[in-house]
Amino acid sequence: MSSVEVGTELPPLTVTVRRENLVRYAGASGDFNPIHWNDRMAVALGLPGVIAHGMLTMASAARVVTDWLSDPADLIEYGVRFTKPVVVPDDDKGATITFSAKVDKVADGRAEIDITAVCGDEKVLGRARAVVRVS
Amino acid sequence: MTIDATMVGRSYTAAESYQVGREKIREFAEAIGDPNPAYRGDDAVAPPTFAFVLSAPALDLLLADPELGLRLDRIVHGAQKFNYVRPIRVGDEVAATATITTVRKAGDVEVIMYETVLTGRDGEQLATSTATVSHNRADS
Repeated sequence: MSSVEVGTELPPLTVTVRRENLVRYAGASGDFNPIHWNDRMAVALGLPGVIAHGMLTMASAARVVTDWLSDPADLIEYGVRFTKPVVVPDDDKGATITFSAKVDKVADGRAEIDITAVCGDEKVLGRARAVVRVS
Repeated sequence: MTIDATMVGRSYTAAESYQVGREKIREFAEAIGDPNPAYRGDDAVAPPTFAFVLSAPALDLLLADPELGLRLDRIVHGAQKFNYVRPIRVGDEVAATATITTVRKAGDVEVIMYETVLTGRDGEQLATSTATVSHNRADS
């Protein structure tokens, strides 16, 4: 991270989410809501099928920023809105999410970064923004 | 009963603190597919969103408050924000207190915002998690 200025683009990241990833995340996070592993329950609640944990998408989006920082401790603020569910089909292909990020503001030793998360044609996160310390 | 704006300010503190261990941080990092070396080893820090896992015991108490009348399977996570004082790291003993900050009603849907403060030993503030959830009471 040599020079940080408004408009600097961070290296993008593409993540594939399969059912196996949802099972792993459920176990590691303790979030066993059945909409993340049980099609029957997901459909009963009006969803197209099993969806990824919003917090898993948020964790992947954070990687765009923490992979770019030399020290993840420089992340001081991070927020997202969950605008669309990420539907994860029961196949080998899974769902693919592409993350990109751009510096929107630099002031007082802090940079504000806007993150975009796209799955298919849809933005799955809204107002995703990270504030980091920069030297 | 059902949740309403008079319940803003209610607080829920998890009975026990959470002991953060090296292998839990590694397991969480593996589960989110993050190979960052900062999340491995005896001096590991936790990935930023691990703060949500630490806030969950306090949320469980909020959801269990019978006067709020909430059901987990009717809740959708709408927005999430974290403010970090310093990263959570191996050896931390973390206490979580969740406080209801906003309740808005729109028909059958209640939009609830709650803030969870994570503190370490001696009350040192580590991070704050602010979550917005929608609870849908239709057909209940």
